[in-house]
Amino acid sequence: MTKQNALTIITPIAKDKYDDLFEYLKKIRLELEANQHEQFEDIGTIHYCRWVVIDHPHRTYHHTTDESVKAKLVFTSNYDGPKNEQIKDLCTKAANVIDAIYCYCEGYPIPSERTPESRVAYLDKHFVKTTAFYQGSPGRTLNQIRNEENLRNTLKKIIENGKWDNMSCKQIHGKIKHEVFAMPEFSWLKEKAQVPTVNYFGLIGLGIILLALLPLIIPFVLIIHFFYEKNDEVFMLKRSQLREGQMKLLESYEDLNYQNQFSQLVVMKKGMVRLIAIKALFAFANALIRNLFVTGKLMGIPTIHFARWVMFDDNKRVLFFSNFDGSWQQYLGDFIDKSGWGLTGIFSNTTNFPKTNFLLTGGAYDEEHFLAWSRSTEIPTEVWYDAYPHLSIKNVNNNTRIRTMLTQSLSEQCAQDFLKII
Amino acid sequence: MELLELNDIQGYVIRGYSDMLYSRFVLLEVKDPKASCKWLGQLWPELTNAEPTPFEAPRKDTQLNIAFTANGLVHLGLKRDNLKAFCAPFREGMVTPHRTRLMGDFDSSDPLLWRWGGPKNENVHIVLLVFGKDENTCLNYYEKLKQVYDDKGLQEIKYLDGKTLPENKEHFGFRDGISQPVIKGSGRVGSPDNTVNPGEFILGYKNNYNVYPDSPVIDHEQGEWNLLPPDTDGSGKKDIGRNGTYLVIRQLQQDVDAFWSYMNDNSKNDDGTLNTDESVKLASKMIGRWPNGAPVTLFPDKDPVLINDFNDFGYAKNDKDGLKCPFGSHIRRSNPRDNFEDNKRKESLLLSNRHRIIRRGRMYGETHVGSPTNKTPNGEVGIIFNCFNADINRQFEFIQFAWLNYPMNKQLYNDPDPVLGAKENTTLDEQQNFTIQACPVNKTVKGLPRFVTVKGGGYFFFPAVSVVRFLASLSA
Repeated sequence: MTKQNALTIITPIAKDKYDDLFEYLKKIRLELEANQHEQFEDIGTIHYCRWVVIDHPHRTYHHTTDESVKAKLVFTSNYDGPKNEQIKDLCTKAANVIDAIYCYCEGYPIPSERTPESRVAYLDKHFVKTTAFYQGSPGRTLNQIRNEENLRNTLKKIIENGKWDNMSCKQIHGKIKHEVFAMPEFSWLKEKAQVPTVNYFGLIGLGIILLALLPLIIPFVLIIHFFYEKNDEVFMLKRSQLREGQMKLLESYEDLNYQNQFSQLVVMKKGMVRLIAIKALFAFANALIRNLFVTGKLMGIPTIHFARWVMFDDNKRVLFFSNFDGSWQQYLGDFIDKSGWGLTGIFSNTTNFPKTNFLLTGGAYDEEHFLAWSRSTEIPTEVWYDAYPHLSIKNVNNNTRIRTMLTQSLSEQCAQDFLKII
Repeated sequence: MELLELNDIQGYVIRGYSDMLYSRFVLLEVKDPKASCKWLGQLWPELTNAEPTPFEAPRKDTQLNIAFTANGLVHLGLKRDNLKAFCAPFREGMVTPHRTRLMGDFDSSDPLLWRWGGPKNENVHIVLLVFGKDENTCLNYYEKLKQVYDDKGLQEIKYLDGKTLPENKEHFGFRDGISQPVIKGSGRVGSPDNTVNPGEFILGYKNNYNVYPDSPVIDHEQGEWNLLPPDTDGSGKKDIGRNGTYLVIRQLQQDVDAFWSYMNDNSKNDDGTLNTDESVKLASKMIGRWPNGAPVTLFPDKDPVLINDFNDFGYAKNDKDGLKCPFGSHIRRSNPRDNFEDNKRKESLLLSNRHRIIRRGRMYGETHVGSPTNKTPNGEVGIIFNCFNADINRQFEFIQFAWLNYPMNKQLYNDPDPVLGAKENTTLDEQQNFTIQACPVNKTVKGLPRFVTVKGGGYFFFPAVSVVRFLASLSA
C-alpha cells in the first residue's frame, strides 16, 4: 500500500520581498480559481497543497513569541509516496513555480546556482516534521481515487441504461462485473485494493498501556487542574467581537466550491507540564489514528480528507491544517458535536483557549467562545490546491467500497448492499 | 425550566397567526430620525406580544410586529459602537460575496437583480409586519397605520403582500409549514424529540448547546438606557438582544410551470402520454410529503388523500435506506430528524435539533394550487419565506448551504435539494440529479432544473417590545 504523507516546509521570507511574494501568491490563487492547475496536476501525486504566511506584521493577527522574528512562508501538501521523491518532483516538474515563489525567501539559490539538487537541498533544509497526521482514506493514491471515481460513474451508467427486471441482485452484480472486467480501461481491477481496517489488537494494547499509566495520568490531570488551569488566561470573546477585517479576509477564500481548508496557528502555554500534556495527547491521537480512525472518520467527524498538527519553533507553537467537505460552520460544529474532548485536550495546552477543566472538559463545549476562538486563531491561506473538489471523503471511501465489492463474489444480500451504494 | 417572558417577546416568533389570512410586510426607509423615533414611540404599545390570547377575550382581527435592519438601527440613532455588538451576518446583511456563495444566489437569483434588499435597491431600514384576518381587514389596518407614518419622516419603499392559500398549500400544490420545532417554556408542548431550548430562537436564554447565544450586549450609553435589561453575566452592560431574535426574509418566485412540466416529463407512460399519478408521486418523493401533507416515509406508495399534518415520525427505524422517503427529498434534507448522516437515533436528534428554524412562509401572487394538469398560474407567484433563528450562521445559513445546496448529503454525489438547492446553470461536466433509492437498483432522475428565483431578501433584528420602546428614545 502506498502511503499518503504530509509535507511541511517553513522558510523565512526576505524582508523587502513581502509584497512581491504576496503578489505572486495571489496570481497563483487567481489562476487556480480559474481552474488552471496543470502545474500541480502534472506532479500526479498531490491531493492538496497550500501556502500560508505567518508572523507577518500586517497580514496576520498573531503575536509571535518573539517580536523580532521574520515573516515565514509555510508550504504544506498531502501526497503519495516517499518524501524525497515528492520534493524532487516539486523541484523538477514544478521548478518554475518553486523558483517564482522561493526567490522571495531567504537563502534560496540565486538564479545561476539553481539546479534540481540545490532546490531540493533548500526545501529539505527547511522541512519540519509532522507531529500528528490524519488521513480520511488511508492508502488511496490520487491515481486510485481517480480510477475508482471513473469506475463508479461507469457502473452508474450501466445500471441506468440496463433493464434489470426479473433479475436477482446477485445476477445483476455478476452481469455488470462481467461487463466492466471486459473494458480495457479497468484492467487495474485485477489488483486487489488494500484498505486498512480497525486494528482491535492495537486498541487493546493501547487500552492496557493507558490502564497501566493511570496511576500517573490521574495525578497529572489533577496537577494541571489545580495548579495550571485555575491560573489560565481564558478566551472570552464572541464571534460578534472579532476583527471585521480578519473575518472578511478569511471568508473571501471560503466556499468557492464544496470543499474548504482550515489553517490555524496557536502558541503553547509555558512550562514543561503543558509540553508533556500535549505530546502525550499527540501520541495518543496518533495511536488512535493508526488503529481506529482508519475508515474515513476522525473522532466521528465524517468530512475530513486530511488533517495535521505540526509543532515547531522549539515546540513553542503549533500549526494545524485540514482539508474538509462543506462549510466552516459545518466543520467547526462537527468538532464541537463529535470530538469536543479531543480538541479540548490538545488545545487546552495552548494560550488563550476557552476555559477548560481537567484538561478534557469545558473548552470546545463552550460553543460560542470556541467558535470565536477558532476564527481568531485561523490564518489566511494564500494559495490552496485541491485535486478533487467534487468528491467528498465519503464519496472517496464509498468508491473504494464499490470497487472492492464489485470484484468479490457476493451473496444475494451482499449484492443488494452493493447495488444500494452505487 | 426557564419560562419565556412572553409579554416582552413580539408575537410572530412564537405564534404563527394562522388565523390571519392576509399580511402586508411594509419596507420602510428612515428619512428623519427624530420623526421616526416619535412614530415608534406611539407605535410600540400596539405591537402584538407572544402572550396567548385569554380564552374569554374577544379574538383580535389584526396583529402588528416590527423588525429592523442594521442600517435601520443606525439611522434611528444607534451608535455605531453599539451596532458592533450584533452578530456579523446581521451587521453585514444577506448580500456579501461570501454569503451569496453560501446561499447559491446566482444567475437569475443574483442580488443585483433583486427587487429589494439587493445592492442596487433602496435602503430597507424597517419592516412593518401587518396582519389581518382577511384582506380587507389587513389593508384597512395598513391604511390606518400608513396615515400615521406618512408624515413622520418614513418613506415606504415597497410592500410585500402575503396570504394563506386554501388548505395551507404553497403554489406547487403542497401543504406547507407543518413541521415546526416546539420551544421549551413557550407554553406549547410537543414530542420531546421535537422540543428545543428557547435560546435557539430567543436571545437571552440557553440554546441547544446549553450556553447563551451571541446576544448583542451594548455598553455605550444612549437613549433611555434603563429600559434595557442588564447583561446576565453581570458585566454592567445592557442586553439589547434579550427577548428578541433574528428574522430572515426571502422572496422566492416559484416557477410552477417548470416544476410540473419536469415532473410530467419524467413520469410519462411508455407510450409518452401523461401519467398524473406518477407525476404527483415523483413530486411527492422530491418534497417528502404528499400534496395533502402526509409524510412519504409513512405512506410511500399512495397519497392517503385526507389532509394529514402528522409530524411525529422519524426515519431511523423504518426508512434508514431511503427506500420510502428518498435521502434527497426536501423535508428529509432540511430536517433529518432521527437519521442524520449515519448517526444513531439519539445522536441524530441531538444534532438535527441544533439546526432548526421557525418557518413563517406566506404566499404571494394569484391563488393557485399547482398540479400536473394545473400548472400555469396567472402572473408571478411565489412565497415570502420568513424564518426566525438566534444564530443565523448555525441555523438558516447552515440549512441553506449544508443541507440544501450541498449535493453530497448521506451517500449522494450530485444531488442538491430539488426545491431550493439546485443551480440554474451548472458547469460543463456537473450533474444535477435526484436519486430515488430502490431495490434492486436506485433510480436517478437527471437534469434537475431550478424551480425558484430569489427576488429579494434581508436579515432583520426582531427586538423585544421593550427594546422597540428603547429604540424610540434614540433620537428623541
